[in-house]
Amino acid sequence: MENGNSSGDNKSSRKPIRCKAAVSRKAGEPLVMEEIMVAPPQPYEVRIRIICTALCHSDVTFWKLQVPPACFPRILGHEAIGVVESVGENVKEVVEGDTVLPTFMPDCGECVDCKSQKSNLCSKFPFKVSPWMPRYENSSRFTDLNGQTLFHFLNVSSFSEYTVLDVANIVKIDSSIPPSRACLLSCGVSTGVGAAWETAKVEQGSTVVIFGLGSIGLAVAEGARLCGASRIIGVDINPAKFQVGQNFGITEFVNSMTCEKKSVSEVINEMTGGGADYCFECVGSSSLVQEAYACCRQGWGKTITLGVDKPGSQICLDSFDVLHHGKILMGSLFGGLKAKTHIPLLLKRYLSNELELDKFVTHEMKFEEINDAFQLLLEGKCIRCVLWMG
Amino acid sequence: MDKASLSSTEGKPIRCKAAILRKAGEALVIEEIQVDPPQAYEVRIKILCTSLCHTDVTFWKLESGPLARFPRILGHEAVGVVESIGANVDGFKQGDVVLPVFQPQCEECKECKSPKSNWCTRYTNDFLSNTRRYGMTSRFKDSFGEVIHHFIFVSSFTEYTVVDIAHLVKISPEIPVDIAALLSCGVATGIGAAWKVADVEEGSTVAIFGLGAVGLAVAEGVRLRGATKIIGVDLNPAKFEIGKRYGMTDFVNPALCGEKTISEVIREMTEVGADYSFECIGLASLMEEAFNSTRPGSGKTVILGMEQKALPVSLGSYDLLRGRTICGTLFGGLKPKLDIPILVDRYLKKELNLDGLITHELSFEEINKAFDLLAEGNSIRCVVWMDK
Repeated sequence: MENGNSSGDNKSSRKPIRCKAAVSRKAGEPLVMEEIMVAPPQPYEVRIRIICTALCHSDVTFWKLQVPPACFPRILGHEAIGVVESVGENVKEVVEGDTVLPTFMPDCGECVDCKSQKSNLCSKFPFKVSPWMPRYENSSRFTDLNGQTLFHFLNVSSFSEYTVLDVANIVKIDSSIPPSRACLLSCGVSTGVGAAWETAKVEQGSTVVIFGLGSIGLAVAEGARLCGASRIIGVDINPAKFQVGQNFGITEFVNSMTCEKKSVSEVINEMTGGGADYCFECVGSSSLVQEAYACCRQGWGKTITLGVDKPGSQICLDSFDVLHHGKILMGSLFGGLKAKTHIPLLLKRYLSNELELDKFVTHEMKFEEINDAFQLLLEGKCIRCVLWMG
Repeated sequence: MDKASLSSTEGKPIRCKAAILRKAGEALVIEEIQVDPPQAYEVRIKILCTSLCHTDVTFWKLESGPLARFPRILGHEAVGVVESIGANVDGFKQGDVVLPVFQPQCEECKECKSPKSNWCTRYTNDFLSNTRRYGMTSRFKDSFGEVIHHFIFVSSFTEYTVVDIAHLVKISPEIPVDIAALLSCGVATGIGAAWKVADVEEGSTVAIFGLGAVGLAVAEGVRLRGATKIIGVDLNPAKFEIGKRYGMTDFVNPALCGEKTISEVIREMTEVGADYSFECIGLASLMEEAFNSTRPGSGKTVILGMEQKALPVSLGSYDLLRGRTICGTLFGGLKPKLDIPILVDRYLKKELNLDGLITHELSFEEINKAFDLLAEGNSIRCVVWMDK
């Protein structure tokens, strides 16, 4: 594997790299471990060597999907940690050897939205599930050994030993943090914790309901716990999640499959005497968002959606309910966090033992075992599977 | 109205005139009715003037279903004088100038005590109950002794009405009463939505769908907060001229958008989308447009309009996920007893401009004309005077 001398001059290491990647060639089929070519970084880009990467459900969603914005062949993966191998021109933020987290959410730091406290949606690089690098039109850094273009995913594409990222999609971090913990902050845990802290601003003593106890839901629980919520009710169809959830501060559990004649929202309205202060939807189902809305408290209840549903899906609300009951419905990407500002703060809280990350990692495997990781996630048998590169 | 004539009716039923809705969509009939004295925690008031709000029209048209009731006394935006008080009533006495409000504030429940909410549900959850505390019993009877239903705890299309103290606000007698009446619903709703629910900040871009009294009040509210771009959306181009008085900077006429949706036009006008949008009509399709007009990442949509056919609102899940917020509000999130006096004060200090909202004045006998004027789109607020 060529990677250029780390002590050599940058220009000479700007050659394509040949390395291993797990390529998604057909919807729903096992990823294929192959050698690919990774082009050198363009201006404002960096090429990184991935240390480890974790599987997130959004990878699964776009792996299974047969219509746009799904596309093939593609390199999935967006939750990871890496080391800068080379930088393109105009890159001042990092140098070779720096440890970085790739972040699918762009943070250019310059546009009106990046500068605003209210938003984390960069308008210079509007968020979309694109096959390409963000800054250059229809531009990919990956080709397979037949010269065929491989598509990018969420600006990251971490299921590869090397990848290329825009500077807007990286955060430099302290290299001493255990990689299999730090990588979680590049997506899942940040999204969940951020949703509780930043999007919802959960207060001490609140009652919180979390629909879907996957990594995001459990991260919301962790965030709500840190905010001092006094009741954290977890809703899932898998009773095993309750055991797991207790480690994350979940105080009560509702199995939505066994509510008998009542709807989940009815059960929760009863349990909470009129609805929760905050409801989080962490599955990606519009009908579940509607359930969540139905059991957040009238007067000030907030329902926050985090899950990604199929493209084009609609959330239908009763207009009378919207007008008359004083509830708020909001959605957020990446928990409303600004990657470059907030990730370092979360890492600090991890280092000071407030934010717990160890409990999220249930499996550590080799990169080559990636398809087993997909299986575990599909079967609901893991929280985070971290895959280590060679 | 002197104290002597007020106290002579105390404790007794009053016979007076009211405009009664007997059949959906038909002219209100002025008839003599009987208004019972107030029970404990209630106040009987003499209405000075009342104005027509579109919500009255929505209920006027309802033929059937759980929200329709006949006969009924509509009207909920008004100003009056206390004629007599029931037992246990503190804070109100004969002769006080008061605003009856559909929005309750008991001042004791968890919601009333919280700064986050104005959603008081003490005593009843049913906004169509005839009384707040005593269920469906009514204080009105027609000349045949038949019960006449109240309307959202106010019923102001009558010379006298009985209101629970949770629905009553005492105000300064200095403010012209017709202006005061507007603060009992439409204007308070609009300003509250801008200040309290949306909390619009300086430099914001705002889109307002529907330039009736509520929409114009939203414009005034956001203007006072320093919004720099205020886009009004209405089918009536004349509303733009009026809107300019309240700080409106741009206008979109949906009939002239061609192939584009209103939200596309607004997103083009604002680069990416407005910071805030307000729906002040009551049409699910426009609520959706208002939602889609906002900026991803921080856009907030406030729904003020009551959907005329109770249709559902459909939002794209990806659009919501992109950092948008939507909420509805009654009475602009305001707590009536706390916030209306503040609005009165700001009006008296000439900080709040409400000129031009009252476009017509009628006598009580002419009340049905107010419905015509509103339906024709030729009025903003039509004030009906009881004694003229």
